[in-house]
Amino acid sequence: MTGSTRPWNRALAVVAAAALGLAVLAGSASAASAKAKPKPKARPSGIENPGSATISETGSTLLYPLWNIWVPAYQQLFHSVSITTAGTGSGTGITDAANGTVDIGSSDAYLPPADVQQDPTLENIPLAISVQVIAYNLPGVTAHLNLSGKVLSDIYQGKITSWNDPAIAAANPNVSLPDIPIVALHRSDGSGDTFIFTTYLSDTDKAGWGTKVGYSTSVQWPTTPGALAEQGNGGMVSACAKTVGCIAYVGISYLSQLLGDGLTYAALQDGKGKYVLPTPANVAAEAAYFVKKTPPDGTISLIDGPVENGYPIINYEYAIVNTKQSSASTARAIRSLLEWAVSPKYGNSAQYLSQVSFQPLPAKLLKASLAQIHKIR
Amino acid sequence: MDLAGTAPTGVSPVGARPARRPHLRRIRSLARAHEHHLWVAGGRAAALVPLVALALTMVVLAWKAWPAARVNGLHFLVASTWKPGSTYGAVTRTDGVAHPVGASYGAWPVIAGTLESSLIAIVIAVPVSIGAAFALTERLGGWLAGVLRTAIEILAGVPSVIIGLWGALTLGPLLANDVYPVIARNMPDLPALRFFKGPVGHGEGLATSGIVLALMIIPIIASTTRTLFAQVPALPKEGGEALGMTDWEVSRRITMPWVRAGIVGAAVLGLARALGETIAVAMVSGSLLNTVAPNLYGTMGTIAATLVTQLDSAFVDGTGFEVRTLAELAVVLVVVLLLVNTAARLIVRRAGGIAAPVGTGA
Repeated sequence: MTGSTRPWNRALAVVAAAALGLAVLAGSASAASAKAKPKPKARPSGIENPGSATISETGSTLLYPLWNIWVPAYQQLFHSVSITTAGTGSGTGITDAANGTVDIGSSDAYLPPADVQQDPTLENIPLAISVQVIAYNLPGVTAHLNLSGKVLSDIYQGKITSWNDPAIAAANPNVSLPDIPIVALHRSDGSGDTFIFTTYLSDTDKAGWGTKVGYSTSVQWPTTPGALAEQGNGGMVSACAKTVGCIAYVGISYLSQLLGDGLTYAALQDGKGKYVLPTPANVAAEAAYFVKKTPPDGTISLIDGPVENGYPIINYEYAIVNTKQSSASTARAIRSLLEWAVSPKYGNSAQYLSQVSFQPLPAKLLKASLAQIHKIR
Repeated sequence: MDLAGTAPTGVSPVGARPARRPHLRRIRSLARAHEHHLWVAGGRAAALVPLVALALTMVVLAWKAWPAARVNGLHFLVASTWKPGSTYGAVTRTDGVAHPVGASYGAWPVIAGTLESSLIAIVIAVPVSIGAAFALTERLGGWLAGVLRTAIEILAGVPSVIIGLWGALTLGPLLANDVYPVIARNMPDLPALRFFKGPVGHGEGLATSGIVLALMIIPIIASTTRTLFAQVPALPKEGGEALGMTDWEVSRRITMPWVRAGIVGAAVLGLARALGETIAVAMVSGSLLNTVAPNLYGTMGTIAATLVTQLDSAFVDGTGFEVRTLAELAVVLVVVLLLVNTAARLIVRRAGGIAAPVGTGA
């Protein structure tokens, strides 16, 4: 380049700098006007002021739809908190929270004891009560089939392979069952739904499933014909919808997708052997029994209680949080968000929970959860 | 733009920051004086990068995998259980390596799934690719060849996740509804052909994985083969025609022997891609860990797909044993790839380089 063109460069630089300056001015002006506009309405009572912070959440795909309803509502009250959520499976939620990659890990399963041993400052805080439904794709069968834990265990062990198997027929005398092979779906990711479902199978078929497979967020699935592994509750529903004869365990927050895709769900046996549906009343009955037994840290499975009219597969949805946060401002924002989430006036009100068919925390548990939330520092 | 070099003196014409100029000039003149050495040294360093990267990857993998390999033993290669154990149970130790009670890993189903699906892919892809390459170089001329060539190149560039999505949503169900039942029904009922009969599933499984893999490696094999065909000199081919050979005879007796070794090499490139392909297979295989496909259409899993679907849940294992086992599985995949590569090299050597004698076997 020769000297003669250099003034051009300088001129260009000046113009560019001027343009940049203008842009910055314009930007700050618009930012200022954006800041000035929204004034928080009345301070919500009982909820700490979060200040300004960024909170990240990953985990349970079952809780994910609720976060998506909760977060915008919470942010309407507190604009200064930015929150990212992701449905990754409970396994990832637990791991991410334990590693400190995220602030809140969502899980349908409580923390494994090994994790707590390694990280005594981790806690699992119940946020709401969820339900698991057993969905299936049987064209022409619109009735809720009666399925027992033993039958489900045999299906997932490949011992029952057709929908018109005598064991299923015996529990469903009024349904004409088609001769369609059963395709058992399970989760490929580490999943709280798998934890809940396998806990149920282990409880109801102690000698079979309980000793051979056991329960965890991922287990050794016995070989069954045509079995499929799917990622997330969404993957379970969409795979089941395109697979005639499928059976899948799905969180109730996916109920509307499930019904929209033409799937039906089963009635399971209550504590007295009667087949019951996951109605709010049946879920509340089951929850009432377990609430009394729940320890302050919320670590318990709500599976197959000896309750009349109690739907046997329900669970607490947990927030996995480290009580020792790196900064006081993050800790304050997490406390605020969780206080809001469990509050019967806000996050735990029917307005939000009914959209995903969850049940609110009973009063005793609310107190325990708040005590856990206040430990976050 | 070498400002310093063209400026008449060390003083800049506009007088901006004169103090920095001499240093810049000295560095530049130094660089110019040693240009050759810099070039060689830079080249050597660049050449070392892949080697170092490969070595580091292998060392880190082996380091991670070693404790798992000690606990899992050789049994790992032949056992069919993938059992993480309960992360809610107790932690136990074997040979000083911590793992959840009941953890027991066997990778045979996913090793078998990897080999089977890649075999299907190569069986489909090699003839199709040779046919396409042959058509491109010998049969089609002008714009049609250009269009086909571009199509193959574009297919090579389609991200595997997109092929996987299409395979899971469209191709799989289509095959399961309209193609597999026809094959399963019409296959003679002989014990040797049992593998082709039986339930055809719903679109995810071994056959669909193989076909999706074939689609992904056809561009690799076809474009390499096309280049090879184009390198065959015209003279022997014309000689063959002069002797009264048909087109078919010329391609079979002259063109093919000329490039045979190269085609084996191309097929190995494709095979390596198929063995290691991850996400597309994860989407159409059924992602199972414990199951060898009972027939051609059964659901299964592969090593690479297992790595991607299980890593998340492996982190839940607080002892880290499942992650170590996945590292061991990755080592198995690398070893399989090395074996395939070595075998291919031996085949190429036996087939004798590119310049096979004209008319061998004619």
